[in-house]
Amino acid sequence: MAEQEEPQITAPDTPVPGPSQTGRAVALARLLHHECARLLQLYKEKETFFSDHTPDAGRIVSLSPDTEEPSTEQQVQLLHSALRQCLGLIHCVILKEEEEWGEMEGDYETMRMNVRLRLEHLLCSTKGLVETESMILEVTPDHQCNEETDGAGGVFGLKMWTYRVLLELVHWADHAAQTLHVLYAEREGTEDV
Amino acid sequence: MPRRSKPSWSPIWLTCVLVGLTAAHAHAKDVLTVPQEVSLSADMSTQQLSISWLGGAAAAFDLIILRTELNETVFYETVSVMVNQESGRHQWNWTSVEPLQCTSLSIRIRSRDGQATSDWSNTQILQGSDLPSNAKSQMYPQDKIRPVGASTTFCCIVGEGKLFGNIKYSKTAMNETRLSRRSYAVTAVNQGLSGRTGTNVICSDNTDYLLDGTVVFVGYPPLPRDLVCVTRDLTSAVCKWTEGRGTNLYRKRGTRYSLNNRNCTVSNTEEKQTECSVAQWEGNWTLVAVNPLGRHVLTDSAELGHRVFPVAPENLNSTVRAWNATLWWRWKYDRYSSLALVCQVELTSQGYKTKRNFSGLGLRSVFLSDLNPDEDYKVQVRCGAQQNFWSWGSWSEPLSFKTNTYVPDSLDVWMWMNKDHTGQVIWKPLTRRQSHGPIRGYEVTEENQQPKLYPPDTFSVPINLTKIATAGGDNKVTATVIVKNDAGVSQPASVHIPLRLTDVEPHSVSRAVYTGRGFPLYWQRDDNATCAYVVEWYESFCRWDCTVGWIKVAAGNTNVSVESADFLPGVRYNISLYSSTSEAPELLQRWQGYMQELVPSVSVTLSTTQQDSDILLTWGEIPLVNRRGFLLGYNIYVSRGSQLMLLANVPDLGSRSHTVKGLSEDSYKFTVKAYTSAGEDTGATASIMLEPYTDWLILEILASLGITAVFLVIVTFVCYKKRKWVKKAFYPDIPEPKLPGGWSRSQGPLDVKPSPNSLVHMVERPEWDSSKEALVVIPEEDEDEDGQGFGDEPADTDEPASLRYYNHVVDERPIRPRFPDSSASSASSLDSARTDVTYTGIQTSGSSLVFLQDSEGHQPQADLSFCGGGGGGGGGRGGGGGGYRPQMQSRALSDDTGLASPEPFFEPEAASAGGYKPQSSWHLDSPVEAEESVGLVPSLGSPTSVASTQFLLPDGDERRQPSSSAATWFSNLLSSTKP
Repeated sequence: MAEQEEPQITAPDTPVPGPSQTGRAVALARLLHHECARLLQLYKEKETFFSDHTPDAGRIVSLSPDTEEPSTEQQVQLLHSALRQCLGLIHCVILKEEEEWGEMEGDYETMRMNVRLRLEHLLCSTKGLVETESMILEVTPDHQCNEETDGAGGVFGLKMWTYRVLLELVHWADHAAQTLHVLYAEREGTEDV
Repeated sequence: MPRRSKPSWSPIWLTCVLVGLTAAHAHAKDVLTVPQEVSLSADMSTQQLSISWLGGAAAAFDLIILRTELNETVFYETVSVMVNQESGRHQWNWTSVEPLQCTSLSIRIRSRDGQATSDWSNTQILQGSDLPSNAKSQMYPQDKIRPVGASTTFCCIVGEGKLFGNIKYSKTAMNETRLSRRSYAVTAVNQGLSGRTGTNVICSDNTDYLLDGTVVFVGYPPLPRDLVCVTRDLTSAVCKWTEGRGTNLYRKRGTRYSLNNRNCTVSNTEEKQTECSVAQWEGNWTLVAVNPLGRHVLTDSAELGHRVFPVAPENLNSTVRAWNATLWWRWKYDRYSSLALVCQVELTSQGYKTKRNFSGLGLRSVFLSDLNPDEDYKVQVRCGAQQNFWSWGSWSEPLSFKTNTYVPDSLDVWMWMNKDHTGQVIWKPLTRRQSHGPIRGYEVTEENQQPKLYPPDTFSVPINLTKIATAGGDNKVTATVIVKNDAGVSQPASVHIPLRLTDVEPHSVSRAVYTGRGFPLYWQRDDNATCAYVVEWYESFCRWDCTVGWIKVAAGNTNVSVESADFLPGVRYNISLYSSTSEAPELLQRWQGYMQELVPSVSVTLSTTQQDSDILLTWGEIPLVNRRGFLLGYNIYVSRGSQLMLLANVPDLGSRSHTVKGLSEDSYKFTVKAYTSAGEDTGATASIMLEPYTDWLILEILASLGITAVFLVIVTFVCYKKRKWVKKAFYPDIPEPKLPGGWSRSQGPLDVKPSPNSLVHMVERPEWDSSKEALVVIPEEDEDEDGQGFGDEPADTDEPASLRYYNHVVDERPIRPRFPDSSASSASSLDSARTDVTYTGIQTSGSSLVFLQDSEGHQPQADLSFCGGGGGGGGGRGGGGGGYRPQMQSRALSDDTGLASPEPFFEPEAASAGGYKPQSSWHLDSPVEAEESVGLVPSLGSPTSVASTQFLLPDGDERRQPSSSAATWFSNLLSSTKP
């Protein structure tokens, strides 16, 4: 599949506050979702055995809301927390894979770096959207990368774990796009982004 | 994948064997010890099982290994195992094909001494991972590293409650072997290189759901080469080697190196080039390369002085002059000052590189000579140990400099003279290497004249020696040229220009053949000549201020190769050899040649001419500039359809015509192509229609006329010579009429005056105007004198008309009527009153018939007029029988068929009533008349004839005037011959 032209990714910066900030966050989340899906596809092409596999293990990243019916802002704050864990997971994937096989420069590795930067950018966006004086949000990775990977801890376990992480990224990127769209609809009064 | 063969050892059979053995060797039981304390030690990574036991004094043991769950024998052999003296135990290692985790194994041992065996030991079981207590799915071995071409067995233990589906090696489903209730094994043989992240081996259940998997890395053991250790600072060592074949194993599976048992921090300097540093020179080095698939050892040893690899010279600088420069630099290590060095300087100038070597102890500077002024140079320096040279060291950073300017070299001057004492002094532009700096101008001095300055882009100056040449004196003028630049002026260069052109073409011009690089020229050595030569060349078709190339040849040489980048294919060059003396140059020899001959660029101008029945082809000469080669001849073709057929080859260049013979009448298209050694030109084509040759026809006519004329002359001559005979035969004397009345014999005109009452009664026909067509009687005298006749007078005039006759033509014979039926005519009265003349030999020409049958088909009414005039009446048709009747011949009917007469009027009477013709009415040129003349032969012999030649001439005969003139002439001829 031909590589799609992607916008140049720069270091995350502080989002510009304003009425379009939510819209930009929605667009960013959708772009992240697209790139995560593309990253998963590249990984499946590289490691063929995952083409139709759906791991039966549960979510790596899970949230426990304080209230049963959180507000949209609270949902975005939870989303921000989940995205921080996802950022930690992708950091960990990069670290472990480079430890195992060294630095490579294929399409998968390039997209992997894009996702990481895009995720950092989205974290900055959500922080700017829902951070309050009482709720300070961080944008650093929330993962220590010291846990054992799946299985016996071998290379196959690393691959399985990586696959799960990529699925997790797709899930939370999609979740971010939906949650932020709800926030956008509430704030901007329109469904169209 | 082939399945493992399963031994068919059933428990019953084994029991029988054991019982048999026990019975057969019952006595040995007391001797052989049953192995005790069997213990197992498994290395899962190597799949090796270490079995130890206490076996007494026995040295041979039977070992049997079975898969516990299915009781399948995996191994059963008799092995010789010596007792370990320290531990007193026997130990034997067995490597399993399958990973030891795949399933549980049962091991038993017994002692053997020949055929005697002990009882089996207690069974020892190596627990596999397929125990029910371990219910999850598993796959073994994990992260195996295998060499390319090896075979590896993988096993999959399906989870409790799962059903085995398949095992895939990468994407290939393998044939499995069941090892136990939950364990299945596959073997991948002759494994190829895996990817960088390894090859996945996946176990799936019967729903193709992934149960577990493993990764195998397939690569190579390390194979480094070319270990070399050198020193750069004359203290430490740097060892380099090449990694060689890639192992396909990375990071923690990658190759590790140790140098002299010290781990080496590897740095990749170049492609697969690795080096490792050692602080002190040790002289001997051992490199060990290890990866999970093997190890490789390289060694090197050398003295320090033999492995000097100098560092790059630092701070390279220069001192520059016009023809040389000095370079100097510094060394990074002070120990270099005591090292004998050889250094190499690489000079780059105008894209060319040269290397110069220098040597010395602790060399720090070099002197670069033989540089060129005003030229850019780039230099780099590297050095090596002069003694025990090992290798050139590193190059220094490049240094650029430009040499100073210098006075230019002397010019190479020559001249070109036209025929009118004008010409040019020309010189070759100096190259950058010759000018030694930017040219500022030229100074040209003609002999005894003030120098003239010219700008730098001048390479020729015109000269006009007309005045000098006419003034007489010396036979040459010397022109001197110098060139200037910032550094000064060059040495003067001179050329002698002859005042009297002696450029006489030599007797023969040789051909020079280009040989790929130039025109090789040779000439005779002149022992007396001590002069140098100048070889000059220019394009042959040039006549005025030509572009000239020249080279100067030293005295004594007798050959040179003329080379020029300006030579063009298809251009003829004149190459001249001049003597170069203190006097004016003298032409010694001349050549002509082409660098490359081409086909002519234009074709000849062709024209065709018919000559008789042949065709003459002529063509013009091709101009010299268009020949583009030495013409070898011409090929003549004729077109046949769309093809050209060679007719002839004309190799003679002087001949530019060709006659094509033997052609039939047709249209032809000829093509003439000139050719050189390169081939033919496109050709000139001309067409011609070969027409019948009319000259022959004209010639035949002329010949016929000539023959006729000659015949006539001969006939005339014969007639003249035989005129007496002719006269006698054709024109005999007519006797004078003898009248009874005694008429006067004197000759003279006989006046016949009709009586006044003898009028002719004209019978008019209403359709015909007799006044216009009346036959008149013309007296001979009147015709001769004034041409007037009676025709001007009306026939019915009252004036009596006088008819004149020569009286000597009177016939003495009695007159008899020719036509009895005309007796009633009134003419009879006239007959009696006038002289009766009888015409017996008068010829009648065909024209008289024409008169009779005029174009309107009228009856010849002239008879009536004549008769009327003669007093004869008788009008009406067929009434012409009265009066005199000349000897007119009746025309044959066949002669009349072509006449347009609506009525058949050729009754004898009518024919006999035709007009009268004088005897002179011969027409020798008329074949009809000739026939008639033949027909008249009998009448020619008539003794009576009338000599009158102008008697009763009708008007209608005037249209036959030419014939009449000829007849007149002939008649006159005959008359003139009368005595």
